[in-house]
Amino acid sequence: MSPWEKRERGRLYYTRSRKVNGRVVREYVGGGALGELAALIDAQERQRREEEAAAWREEQECLEELAGLIDEFCEAVETVARATLLAAGFRQHNRGEWRRRRDRGTTI
Amino acid sequence: MTEELPSKSKLPVRRYEDRLVGCPPGSDPAAMTKEEKEAHLNTVERLAELVEKAGKGDKNPLPEIRKILKESPELAWQLMDYAKYTEYHYTKMMVKEEGSGLKEVLSCQLAAMREEIAGDNPSPLERLLTERIVITWLQIQLFEGLYASNMSKGTTTIAQGGNYEQKRIDQAYRRHLSAIKTLAQIRKLGPAVQINIAQRQVNTAS
Repeated sequence: MSPWEKRERGRLYYTRSRKVNGRVVREYVGGGALGELAALIDAQERQRREEEAAAWREEQECLEELAGLIDEFCEAVETVARATLLAAGFRQHNRGEWRRRRDRGTTI
Repeated sequence: MTEELPSKSKLPVRRYEDRLVGCPPGSDPAAMTKEEKEAHLNTVERLAELVEKAGKGDKNPLPEIRKILKESPELAWQLMDYAKYTEYHYTKMMVKEEGSGLKEVLSCQLAAMREEIAGDNPSPLERLLTERIVITWLQIQLFEGLYASNMSKGTTTIAQGGNYEQKRIDQAYRRHLSAIKTLAQIRKLGPAVQINIAQRQVNTAS
């Protein structure tokens, strides 16, 4: 819905809509130069918010990518560590402590 | 693999950065072909599968695990390289101003941390685990810094994204603690853990 409302006499009025307690409330700002000025201020504010949101999204995407790098590295290191312990004849007890296998052969 | 090895305390102390991480002579990760990189990933994936099976009490994968560790001496080295790559990207994200010297300060701090955590003559596995601790610490610093900065600028509120950022910080802390725990476990097990992942077999503790 356009923020400019045409009145009966043909003049255009600039309006702002906002939600109050779940209902849309329309605020009449004015026509002419005042309306133009309010429209300009609102447009600038909208642009600033959009730019901020875009920058935030970009930063989140970048951070997700960086977190992915660490996840991959941590997983690989954990795999190597566990493999080394298993190869050395240990077993993990209840997903916690590592204990030596009783039936471990002579070769590690 | 039964050869007697000198205990770590008898080995001459070398600077952390001077010690090789089982880098096989002549191999250069930057010069790795796509096929070689894929093969490396496949090795880690295969190892993960075997470790999962063995973790459930199946003893059948153990010979293959030992074979992979023995035949892939470059594994630890390549993972170290991956850690450097990750560190580079994190540092770049944290310090955006070029020439401020902050990157160098951070780099020195990370080097000091590595030296302190790894201790004298760390085994390749200890080095890898040290890298993991350092890199997860770096991640916490980045996430906390961003959270604090966004809060002070007023660009983050709990409703908008603060909760999400807080979750991310919590995850980073969990990763960091897990990294510390694994290193502590390896050290606790002492010299019994023989590492053969970097072309040399060493004890993890004296």
